[in-house]
Amino acid sequence: MAVDVFSVPIFLVVFREALETVIIISVLLAFLKQTLDGPNRDVKVYKKLVRQVWLGTGLGFFLCLVIGGALIGVFYTAGGNRWENSELNYEGAFSLIASVIITAVGVALLRIGKMQEKWRVKLAVALEAPIRTGGRKGVIKRFLEKYAMFALPFITVLREGIEAIVFVAGVTFSAPASAVPLPVIVGLLAGAVVGYILYKSGSSTKLQVFLVASTCLLYLVAAGLFSRAVWYFEQQKWNTLVGSDAAELGDGPGSYDITKSVWHVNCCSPESGGGSGWGFFNAILGWTNSATYGSVISYNVYWIFVISMFVVMRFREVKGHWPLRKPKSSVAWSRSPPNELDEKSTRDSMSRLTRNLTISPSWYESQLALES
Amino acid sequence: MAWLRPPSLSSLVRQLGFLALASAATVKYDFEIGWVTANPDGMAERSTIGINGQWPLPRIEANIGDQIIVNVLNSLGDQSTSLHFHGLFMNGSTHMDGPSQATQCPISPGSRFTYNFTIDQPGTYWYHSHDHGQYPDGLRGPLIIHDPDSPFKDDYDEELVLTVSDWYHDQMPGLLDFFISKANPTGAEPVPNSALLNDTQNLKISVEPGKRYLFRVINVGAFAGQYLWFEGHNMTIIEVDGVYHQQAEATMIYLSAAQRCSFIITARNDTSENFPIVASMDTSLFDTLPDDLNWNVTGWLTYDSTKPFPDPAVVDGDYEPFDDWTLVPWDNQTIYGEPDQSISLDVIMDNLDDGANYAFFNDITYRAPKVPTLYTALSSGELATDATVYGKYTHPFVLEKGQVVEIIVNNIDPGKHPFHLHGHHFQAVWRSEEEAGTFQDSGVTSANFSEVPMRRDTFVLYPNGNIVLRFLAYNPGVWLFHCHIEWHVQSGLMATFVEAPLDLQKSLVIPQNHKDACSAAGVPTVGNAAGNSVNYLDLSGQNVPPGLIPEGFTTRGIVALVFSIISGLLGVAVIAWYGFVGMADQPAVEPAGAGVVSPADAPVVVAEPKGPTPTEVSLVDGAGGGGTRT
Repeated sequence: MAVDVFSVPIFLVVFREALETVIIISVLLAFLKQTLDGPNRDVKVYKKLVRQVWLGTGLGFFLCLVIGGALIGVFYTAGGNRWENSELNYEGAFSLIASVIITAVGVALLRIGKMQEKWRVKLAVALEAPIRTGGRKGVIKRFLEKYAMFALPFITVLREGIEAIVFVAGVTFSAPASAVPLPVIVGLLAGAVVGYILYKSGSSTKLQVFLVASTCLLYLVAAGLFSRAVWYFEQQKWNTLVGSDAAELGDGPGSYDITKSVWHVNCCSPESGGGSGWGFFNAILGWTNSATYGSVISYNVYWIFVISMFVVMRFREVKGHWPLRKPKSSVAWSRSPPNELDEKSTRDSMSRLTRNLTISPSWYESQLALES
Repeated sequence: MAWLRPPSLSSLVRQLGFLALASAATVKYDFEIGWVTANPDGMAERSTIGINGQWPLPRIEANIGDQIIVNVLNSLGDQSTSLHFHGLFMNGSTHMDGPSQATQCPISPGSRFTYNFTIDQPGTYWYHSHDHGQYPDGLRGPLIIHDPDSPFKDDYDEELVLTVSDWYHDQMPGLLDFFISKANPTGAEPVPNSALLNDTQNLKISVEPGKRYLFRVINVGAFAGQYLWFEGHNMTIIEVDGVYHQQAEATMIYLSAAQRCSFIITARNDTSENFPIVASMDTSLFDTLPDDLNWNVTGWLTYDSTKPFPDPAVVDGDYEPFDDWTLVPWDNQTIYGEPDQSISLDVIMDNLDDGANYAFFNDITYRAPKVPTLYTALSSGELATDATVYGKYTHPFVLEKGQVVEIIVNNIDPGKHPFHLHGHHFQAVWRSEEEAGTFQDSGVTSANFSEVPMRRDTFVLYPNGNIVLRFLAYNPGVWLFHCHIEWHVQSGLMATFVEAPLDLQKSLVIPQNHKDACSAAGVPTVGNAAGNSVNYLDLSGQNVPPGLIPEGFTTRGIVALVFSIISGLLGVAVIAWYGFVGMADQPAVEPAGAGVVSPADAPVVVAEPKGPTPTEVSLVDGAGGGGTRT
């Protein structure tokens, strides 16, 4: 939406998904390195498994590109200009969708630092599974077992990638097609670079600063989108009422509904005639030269919602339960198998678990056995 | 009831000629104004305002010097009304002029009102409602004053009255609600649905070969100017708006809303063909041209009704109507001298803070006063000469008796505007071409003015051009000056001239039935424009138009912006807080996967051995990257 060629939300979504993927890969690689690359380990097996990781990643990524390309292609050819009459209603709906998506994704971005841990948990579970079911191996299970190091990144990349595509598609509804490619590429690169730094340095403080900053930006964008969605709906109503495209009236009287106007300055429009700078302002901060009661109130309501959301989440993180709910028994999880626990306690237990995770020799042995 | 009888023309002189020497008569009409159904274009039946149950309306017809009495009963039920006799000087009877809130109170439903005046001018006029933009709903009809002493009386054999009009299928109140609303920010005037000739279409006028006809043509429309031509015939113009002019030949004329033109057409000598008469609405006035609009209306000069009635020929290129400014008045009256008072009015369309589009003279859009302006003039004593008492938004100008008054009108709008002055014929001393800009900037001086200017009461101002009018203030009264596009009357393109108010106070007596109309309508008859009869200079409470649209940020906007910025900053702060505290209570993640688990966190067995190959996941207390089996 911003400056035609660079959509900020798309960049952030792609960046986030790329980062998550890189983190998974880095966890896998670190895991392999740690367990198989020792002086007494089998270099051949290690290299083979590393190759599996990269192969899975590459294939997953490739498939994502194909699916994404097809989806977006279909969208832009089929979509066309079918919505001209109520164009602003669609823009409003898409802005709303984009805003909701960003709001949901943004939280995760803040917690990317914790993702490595999450993936160690997943890895541990994944590695446990085939061995537990070792007695009744089907073909697929056998395959997955044998190529766990391929399957895991493959499925992860595919999943993250499709997620990103859905998000990008959602967000691009409100952006011109030309605004898509650049942020996607830059997002991928930035995600990869940041992931690599994370993998290499292990320091997460600077990363967190970066994440916090980008998340703040993301929510500013989302607030603007939310407010703009309301604005679009109102403007569509107005255009319908006026009967001609009010945009043709420029910025002046009649281009907006004065009875709903909070402020209107006859300049600085992000919409009409070369609003370039103001367009950027509009994309990042939700600026409009013609604010309505709806757009101003929705902007503020959005922030109240976001603030409450973070406060509540923090409350839960600290207290272990939602506000106004009874706290769960703090020992319950320790008596039950992890797969029956609620997500939160699983995460807690697993994080404790995996911080000290090591490969059991039996798994290692089974791998060797499969090799032979 | 006498009221309900058909028009009783107790002494109507229908034809001139034989009775030319008859002494002044009294012509009396009883008009019961009420709703009828009409469908003049055959496209839509609609409620229309008729008189005595009929529409088209009866013609008011008299001889010069006659006294006319019109007894009005408003039987509309839901609307007030008034009658204005367009073009009549009403010298000595300004209270009979008709515009509500200017010279009288509106006639409320169920009320009666009597117009009583003497005519001392010949020519082609019309009467119409001058209340709340009402006349396009049907309340408009011809008013013809015959002149036994016409300088052209020997130049024609028969008189015919022809009206041209635009026509709407919807009623004015609804159209006006839309027109002056935020939904119509550009002030686009509703486009008529069709054009009419004598309030019908496909009109056939029988003519006899060789006979000379005087056509009195009146545009009784609300909005559209009309081009008019008779195929195969020339027009010899002799009168416009009641002023005799020296004969001028034309093949096509243009009549704006409210203009009149009399011309002589001499019928051809053979009867082999019938000839189309075409009136074509000036589509340049319309913001849109609906697909289903036929802006032409056709009639025929019928020489032989057995012969075909041909379709009119298509006119190639631009219409080139006769330029009325080139006319020369019959009496050769030269231009009035240098003006004693010169008034410059700029026509501006702009939006006010209700979002609707209004029309302005300079910075003022007309708002009716609480007390009709005439009654303010009569009740304000010496202060009647102070324009203040008439209220800012009636846009009053006080004229002294005998002054030469000049009105310069600059069009800052890209539309044509036919300007009409009540109670006078003005000299049209100058008219610029389109796009000439303001008179003041155009470099034109009085040296460029017409030396023997044409006179009329309604004169078209071209898009972004200017006109200069002069008139003599010989007629004490309250006279409106306004654009005769009815939409613009309602959106405020109107000013008020209060001419010789002290003379009015000496001579004018308001009839009781006029005062009764006021009490029925709840309108005070004493006081200034705000209804203040104690302090005439205190205009607080006067009717005012909506406010101006503020430039830039208002307090409201600043407050909203500040609040939005604060919530944004607060939100960002909360996100940052969440982001950083979230990390603080989590140990730094290291690539080696090592972490510190406090002793309190007891090792937990999560996977129970299953299957043939029991597996254990080992958990180690304390630091260390290497796996340790327990």
